[in-house]
Amino acid sequence: MGKFGYLIKEGFRNLKVNKLMSVASVTVLFSCLMLIGIAFMLLVNIEAFIGGIEAENVIMVYADLDSTELDYISLGNRLDDIANVASIEKVKKEAAYEEILADLDEGLRAYLTSIEENPLPDAYRVTVADMSGFETVVSEIKTLDGIERVYENSGLARQLQGIRDSVTYISIGMIALLLVVSLFIISNTIKVTMFSRRLEISIMKSVGATNSFIRLPFMVEGIIIGIIAGILATGAVWGIYEFALGSFTAVLSGFGGSARIEFLDYALYLAAAFVGIGIFTGIFGSATSIRKYLKERKFVELEE
Amino acid sequence: MIEFKNVSKKYDGANVHALKDINLTIDKGEFVFVVGSSGAGKSTFLKLMMREDVPSTGTIVVDDTDLTKIKKRDIPKFRRRLGIVFQDFRLIPNMTVFDNVAFAMRVIGTKEKKIRRRVPYVLSLMGLNDKARNYPKELSGGEQQRVALARALANNAEIIIADEPTGNVDPQMSYEIVDLLMRLNEAGTTVIMVTHEHSLVRCFDKRVIILDKGSVVSDGGAIIREAATAHINPISEISNEYVVPPEEDYSAYSSVSDSEESSEENPVEVAEEEFIIAGGDE
Repeated sequence: MGKFGYLIKEGFRNLKVNKLMSVASVTVLFSCLMLIGIAFMLLVNIEAFIGGIEAENVIMVYADLDSTELDYISLGNRLDDIANVASIEKVKKEAAYEEILADLDEGLRAYLTSIEENPLPDAYRVTVADMSGFETVVSEIKTLDGIERVYENSGLARQLQGIRDSVTYISIGMIALLLVVSLFIISNTIKVTMFSRRLEISIMKSVGATNSFIRLPFMVEGIIIGIIAGILATGAVWGIYEFALGSFTAVLSGFGGSARIEFLDYALYLAAAFVGIGIFTGIFGSATSIRKYLKERKFVELEE
Repeated sequence: MIEFKNVSKKYDGANVHALKDINLTIDKGEFVFVVGSSGAGKSTFLKLMMREDVPSTGTIVVDDTDLTKIKKRDIPKFRRRLGIVFQDFRLIPNMTVFDNVAFAMRVIGTKEKKIRRRVPYVLSLMGLNDKARNYPKELSGGEQQRVALARALANNAEIIIADEPTGNVDPQMSYEIVDLLMRLNEAGTTVIMVTHEHSLVRCFDKRVIILDKGSVVSDGGAIIREAATAHINPISEISNEYVVPPEEDYSAYSSVSDSEESSEENPVEVAEEEFIIAGGDE
């Protein structure tokens, strides 16, 4: 414990000695992590949003106007048999007509009701399981008998797939880039710390301290920077997300009723990832700079 | 025992040897001065001694440890057997005297309990008991060097290596530092003191190894050394024994002695000088 306690204490001392540099690197790392967090939450939301639209991307299959009840049921069975069809839902012409009538103004509704004739066919709402097989399902449905018309919007599905892919790639690219930046920041801080403590390092080397003993306080420093930045970034992303959600929910809901994504559902993962990134960059950033430093600088000559 | 066998060192890119075919043995418990101007190979000698660098050819053996074959991870352990004192003291300014000495023990993982017993003891050896709570900047140069010496002793070093320990210390204190080293030596510690102050060396009757241009030009006790170094710094003998001659200016001194003081010089010494110059050019 004594040894361990000493190393931890030294790590904190490093931070205090280089107050300005520590604050600077926490700030920059915090900004990086925050951007990563925002990119991540954006990705999650776009995924959910696209998923929501896709779920509504159904195929409407209208039966022939003169088909009997029996024809309608057999059409349903044949649709259900098609591979990659998740579910089918009956849309009876009466119910559909009611729905349309409900949206009309009173005079028109009264007139249409008085005609007592329903111009709509019976229909099925077909949901596809795997969106990539959407078009196959559509063409298979088109080969069936007793169909008046098939209505689908595969163009939109394709577009959404494209948007989703590019959003994913851009986000991943951004996150990777920011990670690299974080690494540079931490290793730079450690380098500055080591330079400012070269006297102590030279003494440590001359009295026979092992390299790992020399290294550990600097790693502890890197890890502490990482953890602080990680916690701050989690808080900041939360704040920004709640704020953004408040202003954008109205706009987004216009596109489709995708459910609101709660930050707290992801907070734990995000915090864990941030602290993890912080620790990783802390260890990796300090390890690389230390190795270089210990190799380059010998202890006999201590340059001013 | 420290043994240099056919040791040469040539740095990458340099076209002259920093050290050239050094053969010498330093026995356990011996006191040795290593003397030479800058560029003579003193710091290379030290670096090899501390296993900070390896010779280009030859072997260096300290007791049973062959420094040319030692594994990287065993180097710290080897260094714990050395106590190193630097010219610039290398005390940590924001630590007290006590902590500076304790630092050397802490960084090799010594228990706090042992540190609290050992540090006052080594400080008392150096006569620094009442300075334990002071900071380095509150001490004189001589006191600071004694702290550095206490630190070198903290881990029970078998060999004390002092690199110009008197370089930043006033003349009276220089004598005291060397005297302290002597006393440590009498207690059984091997002491290697590197210096360019011939005048100081002459006050002590100890073995002197003189390096010049990477070669050992003289190695022996007080009498031989007296003759060998007489040409180098005659001025200090006349004025003040502790005057530190400017480094690297030995040639200037010898030319002065040739033109102005040759009549006063002993013919034996002149012969000695010629011998050294011939040896150095080799």
